[in-house]
This record gives sequence, structure tokens and C-alpha cells, in this order.
Amino acid sequence: MRGALLSLALAAFPASAAMPPVARNPLTVPTRLDPAWQVKTRALFKQAIEIPTVKGRGEVPRMAALFADQFKAAGIPASDIHINPYEALPGDKTAALIVRWRAAGAVKRPILILGHMDVVEAKRSDWKYDPFKFREEGGYFYGRGTSDMKNGIVATSLALIKLKQSGFKPDRDIILFFSGDEETGGVGATKGASEWRELTDAEFGLNADGGGGSYGRDGKPIVFGVSMAEKTFQTYFLTARNRGGHSSRPRPDNAIYDLADALKAVQAHRFTPMLNDATRGYFAQRAKHEQGVLGDAMRRWLADEQDGKAADIIEANELEVGLTRTRCVATMLQAGHADNALPQMAQATVNCRIMPGVQPSAVEAELKQAVGPKIEVTPDPSFIGLPTPPSPMRADVLKAVTHAVEAFHGKAMEITPTMSTGASDGSFFRAKGIPVYDVDGSWGISPDDERAHGLDERLPVRAMYDDVVHWEMILRDLTGK
Amino acid sequence: MRKIAQFAVLLGTVAGPALAAPAPALSPARAAATRAMFEQVVNTPTVIGRHQVPVMANYLADQFKAAGFPAADVHVMPYHTASATTGEDDTAALIVRWRAAGTPKAKPILLLGHMDVVEAKREDSSTDPFKLTERDGYYYGRGTIDMKDGITGITQAMIDLRASGFKPTRDIVVLFTGDEETNGIGAEKGASEWLDLLGHPEYGLNADGGLGAVLADGTPMGFTLQTSEKTFAGYTLTVRNRGGHSSKPRKDNAIYSLAHALDKIEAYRFEPMLNETTRAYFTARAKMEKGALGKAMSAWLANPKDGAAADAVEASETDVGLTRTRCVATRLFAGHADNALPQLATAMINCRIFPGVDPNSIQAELTRVVADPTVIVSRNDNYVASLASPLRPDVVNAFTHAVTAIHAGFAVVPEMSTGASDARPFRVAGVPVYGVNGKTIVVPTDLRMHGKDERLPIKSLTENVVHWKMMLSDLAGK
Repeated sequence: MRGALLSLALAAFPASAAMPPVARNPLTVPTRLDPAWQVKTRALFKQAIEIPTVKGRGEVPRMAALFADQFKAAGIPASDIHINPYEALPGDKTAALIVRWRAAGAVKRPILILGHMDVVEAKRSDWKYDPFKFREEGGYFYGRGTSDMKNGIVATSLALIKLKQSGFKPDRDIILFFSGDEETGGVGATKGASEWRELTDAEFGLNADGGGGSYGRDGKPIVFGVSMAEKTFQTYFLTARNRGGHSSRPRPDNAIYDLADALKAVQAHRFTPMLNDATRGYFAQRAKHEQGVLGDAMRRWLADEQDGKAADIIEANELEVGLTRTRCVATMLQAGHADNALPQMAQATVNCRIMPGVQPSAVEAELKQAVGPKIEVTPDPSFIGLPTPPSPMRADVLKAVTHAVEAFHGKAMEITPTMSTGASDGSFFRAKGIPVYDVDGSWGISPDDERAHGLDERLPVRAMYDDVVHWEMILRDLTGK
Repeated sequence: MRKIAQFAVLLGTVAGPALAAPAPALSPARAAATRAMFEQVVNTPTVIGRHQVPVMANYLADQFKAAGFPAADVHVMPYHTASATTGEDDTAALIVRWRAAGTPKAKPILLLGHMDVVEAKREDSSTDPFKLTERDGYYYGRGTIDMKDGITGITQAMIDLRASGFKPTRDIVVLFTGDEETNGIGAEKGASEWLDLLGHPEYGLNADGGLGAVLADGTPMGFTLQTSEKTFAGYTLTVRNRGGHSSKPRKDNAIYSLAHALDKIEAYRFEPMLNETTRAYFTARAKMEKGALGKAMSAWLANPKDGAAADAVEASETDVGLTRTRCVATRLFAGHADNALPQLATAMINCRIFPGVDPNSIQAELTRVVADPTVIVSRNDNYVASLASPLRPDVVNAFTHAVTAIHAGFAVVPEMSTGASDARPFRVAGVPVYGVNGKTIVVPTDLRMHGKDERLPIKSLTENVVHWKMMLSDLAGK
């Protein structure tokens, strides 16, 4: 996901008096997945993690074939399994996998399950161990994609296969759509929501690239979020240009120093706080339990949306960051052409997550204002963000998710609507009229396990196994009667 | 050149005013051959990693051989150049030894130059930087002043002298290296394992130094003779971070830490220093320079502790780099994906260190300036401090003679280059080196070494051939 994590920005520890004094360690609670399926899940997860589906490496088609083979072996007719090759960013040869499990005599329109097979780059030199070598250690699976989101690909695929083998008959078609460039171009989802629509059209979508629960370090459940809205993803390039020259004769005008000043301005800049239905629901839920300064700030902000100071306190919290406003952060730098030459060009990549309803052009204008006239600000032409509306909450989805979440985590795990701070493939379908809900069942210890796109990405072993059962339960509930 | 000649208004002519004997003219055929050679070499993109230096070396070797230099004395020396920050290449040096007629009167004179150039990107340039373009009285292209003009000048001068029947009284040995702009391995080899082949020269004349400067209105500003140079050293600032998802920014961010470190380096000024060469230079300058700048020079010379005066001198675009060690950020690399918080952010800091100052002490000083334990300062190379060469009357006289004959109204002054060149390892090995190239350019507009739209005034190309002919006739002819 370009967006948030398994935990959705969850506040620290709801110090509810109702909590049992000693929480169980969620890592050591036995999984509900039976041992034979644990073996299958682990084997498939290992294979998926060890295919480095990073942009430009051409490995996504191999992963698509691996999963297509699983569905064929499970009895899905080849005519309902499509590997659609496509080019994402220039030169990135990738593919989408679309699988339909047909219901005999379907009475309802299909459900679409979304996921993506690609992962963000991970460099061996940055990681403790090889990111593309699957490892189990201390109750965790490690590797690039363990939490974003080969876990969801494996869980949804095996849940579907497990249901089929159990003799379950869905009352509506279930479609899986796994894209191959969610982390970079979003071209697969764009096509999925438009030119491949005959294969993907559905009443609503369930996204495995979002949702999820979190526990505190003390083992207490925090919250399980169902994302129904997402921020708009837009990258901007900040560019300083200069005539350059010989580095033995430094001048006051210097593209790198101009850019450094601009970066400090971006670092200091704060966009105006705002609330929408998803975040209002989320903070209302959070404010019920959160004590202390953070809880007070939530209550104050909900009571007075103009209370910017209260919003700032919330935004400053490591677990709530990104939920109160548009955020932009510098993620890459590139400058200069030789060690001994003054730079002719210095460029920063600034990644923005824009509140739903705000136009990217307005953010561009605000960035320009912040960095001043020496810096060019341009949106990344390879990915133009699409603002999307929040999806209306569906009672059937909420009920199915609640059923599953309570089964694994008990009633202490609160379920709340939320807004994803990032964009996923869901945005392309929302924009084209298919509501999407992020409901994956993975979970982790917050904030220690929030490592999507970062170093030493990992997922609790139990979270992987239980996620298969989670999806099985949700699909039974939503397609069973 | 890793340095830049400081054109400077120079005054105190080192040698007495030489009588202006008229410069010999270049034949139209020689001028045409010079133009053709210049085009050939500029159009060969001898940037690191493009494997084109051996192509250029072979071309020049063929030209020497065709002009009658015995094949046994023309050597293309392939070698590998590499470092973590510059990339790598299979490059080459060219060595040509023009032997004295009869018993040499003295040890050889070394002629130094480099065939490689700094990268130039098509999109950053007005014309294709690797296609020689003639426009508005200039030749445009990467390497036109740094320093394929010097390569062409030396080569054509030797070919023309030989054709005219000139017989050197001592060996003249050419060493054109292939990685001066990056790793300087060719010069290191020249000053060590190739010294036998070079005949253990008495001194070197470097075409990658020396420069005549004129103002846009044609007023001559002076001709520099380079005798010493600052030490070139590279440093890297490295910030590591655990990274994470860009939708959840944190206060700790490798890029922002680096930006703050860069800000401090931008603002920092090293302690001002004077040495013999720069004292002579500023003494002469102070006599002529009017206004605030001249007053600042006088004040600083009168009181070397007057930091404010030195700062005023350093702030002048003509004198930048001459008053102290300078460091500047030249490259940045950070991040691994646009949607991930950076795990690594690095900046290359290029320093030009005052002669006599240890590069390790600059590393320590940068660490203190940055004052952030998350920002690590490391060295990119192991260069040692460079040394100054004593002024030789014969070289000064020959240079002055050529300058005076070709150009009217130029004074000659010794110069400390703010950069480093291939001269450094030779100076360290006991071979004095003098930057004595003969081009003139307009300052400051033509100071485009390593920059955008590098260019050479058209008439400078052939004037420089005449300049080298006169120098070699003087120094190896009697």
C-alpha cells in the first residue's frame, strides 16, 4: 500500500479500567488455523516472499503464475483465471492476476477482493538479513512484503481455496484482483477499474491492503480499523537550478543550499487541520477511552474543529500522525553531476498524502508558497493522484468484520472506521464507483511492527495463519446465505 | 583541472619586462590541423565510465606517429581507475618522448595534461556538449577550456616544431593522463612506476594551469603562472535512519538532518591564512585594486589576524578560495522510493585545503561544525597536503617572453591554484611543476570549467599553439 499500515494510526493504550490486569502475549496465543493449512500457508508465503517483485525486475509475472497455479489446482477453470501482462512505469513489465470463483445461480452482484503483488525496493545492504530470503524468528516472519502485502495475497488466496475444498457454495461470484504496480504506477488498478471492468465489476470491494489490528507493547488490544476513505497520493519534485561551476570557487548561489533551505521549509510547514466523516468517527471512538493530554486534545478538537492547537497535539503523536491533515515529507534527494563541480541541479522528491476533498493543485500551490520562488515545484507526471470520496459504511461488511475480529481478539479489540493515510489500489475503484473497504485481518505490535516500506519488515507468525481464517469467515458471512 | 586558475589581476611581474619580440605566425595548414584535432578530441566524450579515453589516446598517438615521432617513443598506457564515489573506467595515459638530438644538455622537461573531462549532460547544456560548436567567436563544448585546448596546444606545437626542423637539446616528454578529474591514478603512476619511461624529468610544465584573463571590454587583467595549489579532498556526510512509510512522517528524518548539516556547512568559514605566494599576489593586487576590496587586501596584509578584512576579500568573486580552506556541497543522494521515509541520506562535500593543512584535520573540523552525532563525516580519499614549487627563472622568463610576444599589456604573476591537478604527485615526488598554459578568456563570464556551456575564445586555440612553440623553443632549444 502506498498508505497506512496494518495498524491504522492507533493511539497508544486505551487505559480502560475494563481491561484485564494482565494481558496475554498476542504472539503466543495459538492460531486457529489447523496444522495442515499452516504448512500450506507457510510454504506459499515463503515462495511469494522470495520472488523479488520490485519495480523493474520483471518478477511479478512469475508471482502471478505461482498463484494462478494454486487456483487451477484447486479446480477453478482456466477460463476464469487471467494473467494480464502490462507495462507500468516505462520499462516496468508487470502483470495483474484476475480470478473469478463463479457462484452457481448467483443472486447478488460479485464481491471484489483487492491486493497487489509488487513490493517496495529493499536493499540487502540496508537490511540485517536478505530481504528476499524468508525467515522465521522469535514469533515473526521476516522479509520484504511480509506485511505489505504478500500476507494479504496469501491469506485471501488460501481462504478462497480452503472454502472451495470444504464444499462451500458462494451465493455470489468472488473475484480476486491482484495488481502488479500498486507501489509505483497504479496502472494495474487504473486498468482494473476501467478497461478490464468486465472482469472486475462488483457491488463492492474488500481490500486486503489495509485494515488490520494493533496491540500495545503491553499486549493489550488497541484497535482494529476498517478503512473506508484514503488520502490522495501525490509526489512532487522540488528542483533548484543553478549555472554551476567549479567547486574550487564556491558562490553564495548554490542549488544544494537552496534546496536545503526549501527542505527546512517543508519540514516546518503544517497544513490546516481538517475532519471528515471517517476521521470524525475514528476520533470519536478513540476519545471514549484515551486519557491524558492526547485524549483531551481529541475531545477538544471534536468539540471545536477550529482548535488547531488540539489537532497539532494529535498529529504530533507517532500513532496518529497523518490523520489530522495533509502531510508532505521529503523522501529522496538527487543533486550534482561530479564531486568537483558546483551542482547545476538539485532535486528533492516530496511525497504528499492529501486529505480527501483537497485538490492536489492546491497542495502544489501551498508548497510553492512555502519554499519560495527559487524552487520549482512540479507534480510527478508518472502518477497523478486522484482525489476520491469516502465509501459509505455497509452494515453487512461491518458485521462480518466484527464477527471475525471478535473471534480472534475478543471484544476488547475495538473496531472503528478510519481513513487510510496512504493511497492504495482501492482509490481507483472508489473513483469509478465501486466502494472499497480495507478489512485485512493482519495485526502487529504498535509501533514496533510498523515497518512497511522500511527496514526488517515483519509479521507475527500467528497473524499470518489467523488471517487465512479471518478471510474465510468474512467470505462465508458475505457470500453464504 | 580539479582546480581553477585564478585569473586575477596581477601585477608584480615576476621577471623584468621582456622585450616584445613578435610572435611567430601559424601557417594556415597548421591552423586547420589544429582546428580539426580540437574538434576530434572535444567530440570524444572522455567522461569516466564511457571508455573513450583510450580512443582519444590512440588518436593522439597516431597523430604523433604520423608526424614522424618514432613509434618506439609513443606509448598508450592502459590502466584502470575507480573509487566508490566516481565510478570506474578502463582508461589510458599517453606518453610521448621526443629525444634530444645528441647528448641531452639536461634532464627532460615533462609536459603534463589530462584527456578526461567532467560529465556534461545534454539536457543541462545549450548545445550538445560533445559536439564542438562554433558560435559568437567561441568554441563551445565540454573540455574546450578544461583542458582539450592544452592537449591540442602541446600536441600541435610539438608536431609543428618537428616539421620546422627544430632539434631539442634535451628530451621533451609528454604525459597525458586519463583520470585527472576523478581519481588521479594516472598522475600517481606517472610520478612513480612510469618515472623511468618519463626519464626522471627535471621539472614539469602543466597545460592544466596558467591563464590570461581579460575583462569584457578587452582590458587585460593579467596572466597567471601557477606554482602551488590547494589540496583537493572529498568528504561524505552520511545520515542513517530506520526509515518507514512516508504516510507517517516522523521528526527524525535522514533528509532533514542532512539539510540542517548542509546549512551549517554553508554558513561556516575556515580560518583565513596567508602563504608566500598569496602574500605576493595580494601585495601586488592591493596596489592596483581600488575601493573596498583593495582596502580589505591592504588591511589583511597589515594584520593577518584581521578576519573581517579577509572575509571581504574572500567574498569577491575574483578572489574566492584564495584566503583559506573552502568546502562546498556538490552532490546529494538520498532515499530509495518516493513513498518511503529515507533510510540513508548522503552529501558529497568537496574541499580545497590551504597548502600545509592536513586533510584529516578538516574532517575533524567539519564534524565539529555539523555538531550532530547522527551525521557522520568521512573521507573519500587519502590525499596528502600538496607542496609549492620554487619559482625557476628560466620557466618564468620563457613564459613571460611568450605572453608578452603574443598579448599586449599583460603582467605575469605567480598563482596558488584553488584546486588540485595532476601536478600534486609530481611535486610531492620532488619534480616541481608550473602551470603555464597560454589561453586567454574573458572573466568572469568564460570561467565555465565543469559548468554549463563551457567555451573557449576561437583565437585562443591557435594562439596557444604559438605559445607552447615559443616556450619549448626557449626551454629546450638552447
